Amino acid sequence: MLKTLFPTLSRLRFTVQLVMLFVTVYGSVIVGTYMAGKISNALPALSCAYDQMNGGYCVLIPTQHILHHRIGEAMVRAQQLTFTMILPLLMSFLTFFAFFFVLGKAFCGWVCPLGTLQETVGMIGRRFGIGLRRLGDDDLVAARRVRPVKWLLLLGLVFLLPLLTGLGVTPHSLGNPYCDICPSRVATTLLTGNTDQLALRVSDGWSFALGATSDFLIGFMIVGGLAIRQPFCRICPLLAFNSLFQRLSPLRLTKTRHENCGQCRICSEACPMDIQEISLHEGRKAYTEDCTLCGRCAEYCPQDGTIRLKWGPVTLFSSRREYYKNKVRGELPDGSVKPVRFVKRGEASDAR
Amino acid sequence: MHRTAFLLALLAASASAFAQQHGQHGRPPGAAAPAWTSQPLIAAVPGSRGERAAAQFRPVGLPATEIRVFGPRGGEQAFPVEAGAARLNSPAPESGNYHWLSARAETPAHVSVASTVWYLSNPGPAPVSLLQRAKSELEIVPDPLPREHANYRESEKWRFIVRYAGQPLAGQVVRMETERGTRTSFTTDSEGVATVLFPRDFPPEAEGDGHNRAKAGFVLSTERQDGDRHFVTAFNHTYGPDSERGRSLGWGAAFGLAGMLGALPLLRRRRNGKEQ
Repeated sequence: MLKTLFPTLSRLRFTVQLVMLFVTVYGSVIVGTYMAGKISNALPALSCAYDQMNGGYCVLIPTQHILHHRIGEAMVRAQQLTFTMILPLLMSFLTFFAFFFVLGKAFCGWVCPLGTLQETVGMIGRRFGIGLRRLGDDDLVAARRVRPVKWLLLLGLVFLLPLLTGLGVTPHSLGNPYCDICPSRVATTLLTGNTDQLALRVSDGWSFALGATSDFLIGFMIVGGLAIRQPFCRICPLLAFNSLFQRLSPLRLTKTRHENCGQCRICSEACPMDIQEISLHEGRKAYTEDCTLCGRCAEYCPQDGTIRLKWGPVTLFSSRREYYKNKVRGELPDGSVKPVRFVKRGEASDAR
Repeated sequence: MHRTAFLLALLAASASAFAQQHGQHGRPPGAAAPAWTSQPLIAAVPGSRGERAAAQFRPVGLPATEIRVFGPRGGEQAFPVEAGAARLNSPAPESGNYHWLSARAETPAHVSVASTVWYLSNPGPAPVSLLQRAKSELEIVPDPLPREHANYRESEKWRFIVRYAGQPLAGQVVRMETERGTRTSFTTDSEGVATVLFPRDFPPEAEGDGHNRAKAGFVLSTERQDGDRHFVTAFNHTYGPDSERGRSLGWGAAFGLAGMLGALPLLRRRRNGKEQ
């Protein structure tokens, strides 16, 4: 039964993604208004608190709020450390860890609503032949150079600016700057029919600039997602945040050496983040900071047992030659499928 | 339009006359009410929000000697009103966001209850049991309370349940008065729910969002005679302008389109590569 419903790991993952998209965007319908905020406000996925129907908040929101309102302001008043500063931050991080322990970076590849939306855009593009842009060697260098951006966003917009705002150094409108540029905020609120977050605040220059960046990013993501897989994930500070702790979660990607590694490179081609290390290295080096644990590399590895998704000692999925052969019949490693073409009735009958 | 204004004025006049009438019938004398309402309120003391774990509130329009705080984890504690205000903390067991505040004044013939909600700090339990608990005889209970990142805003509809002795009251009139001058009323349905439409009464220049957003007080009140006792209960809080105010959807859409245009070269390069 399960094998019929979910013949491939990709099918299972996309089903989970759609379910989680519903939970993270409309979750309050199921779990009630308040519980929606309490599934957690420290999820390792871009689940936006500005969406009033959602089922949980992203960990970046309390992090910015605590740094701004608690730590920054408390440092100004030179108050006690324990209750006003460290405890709330610790609570958010502990909750985050509780979730992260179970699913690790799979929150990016399986749960994040923005990741699901980007994949959906990519699927639409490929299905209608608008299509995927194969990255050449030059592009791959560029893709690798983009990697530090997510760390800069994490340090600058999630940690530093909220803290400086709490200290009174930067203006109040820079209190939660990452949320203000996050395209997930716009995308998920639009999905609930709310245009507030798309509209720009015109009375304040900083707010206008941050909101404009967010809107630009969502526009770029919608069109760019047709050409490049997961464009925003490559600079997402939550991916950086999650990768800080990726070795602490039992869920991980493992790879052993095979004589063909580095030659066929099918796994890299299948990777939506274009990670080259998965084909070139093994062990810890193969599981890089950009990995979202989607499992596509394992699906498309033609060697038995070379790439595995493991939770502790348990292998959840392992690469298999037979699986690979079946998989490529439906979809090529880069995600290409037989495109749907619209043809005139006359042409269709001629073709027959 | 003129008819609506006339009806509003009529309602306001009748509500005011009604309130004065009850003031003359055994209502306990209270702290001076603000100019915009004669209903009992619990108001935050300006400038008292510096500390996160404590806040000062004062009963207004009723001579309450204490403000009772109902915590989100079932705790309950009364804080004395001294020099017109009470300094409140979260009752043990602490932690949580949603706190219910209640102030009460009574004579043998009249019971006045003012109530409001104090948001302290997330995370914490959902306020479901907090709102379900009967905290006075006659109650106006929000259903639901605005979550984090939400507020009562003009043009929005919010549900409030009116209960007496823990049971919903159908057909009960709930009056609404706002600091911006609106006077109106709503009637509860068969489940005791009054669906309150927040009036659009902020001036056009009011900011709807950000830390400088405008806000104004509102109070919902209802009353009931039970034998020799007359109950008046009020729930007050603040509401704000529509969040679309001060925002431009046009600019937002323009930057969204600019992003799309910015990504177009990616599509073009791909096609060229394919052709080659």
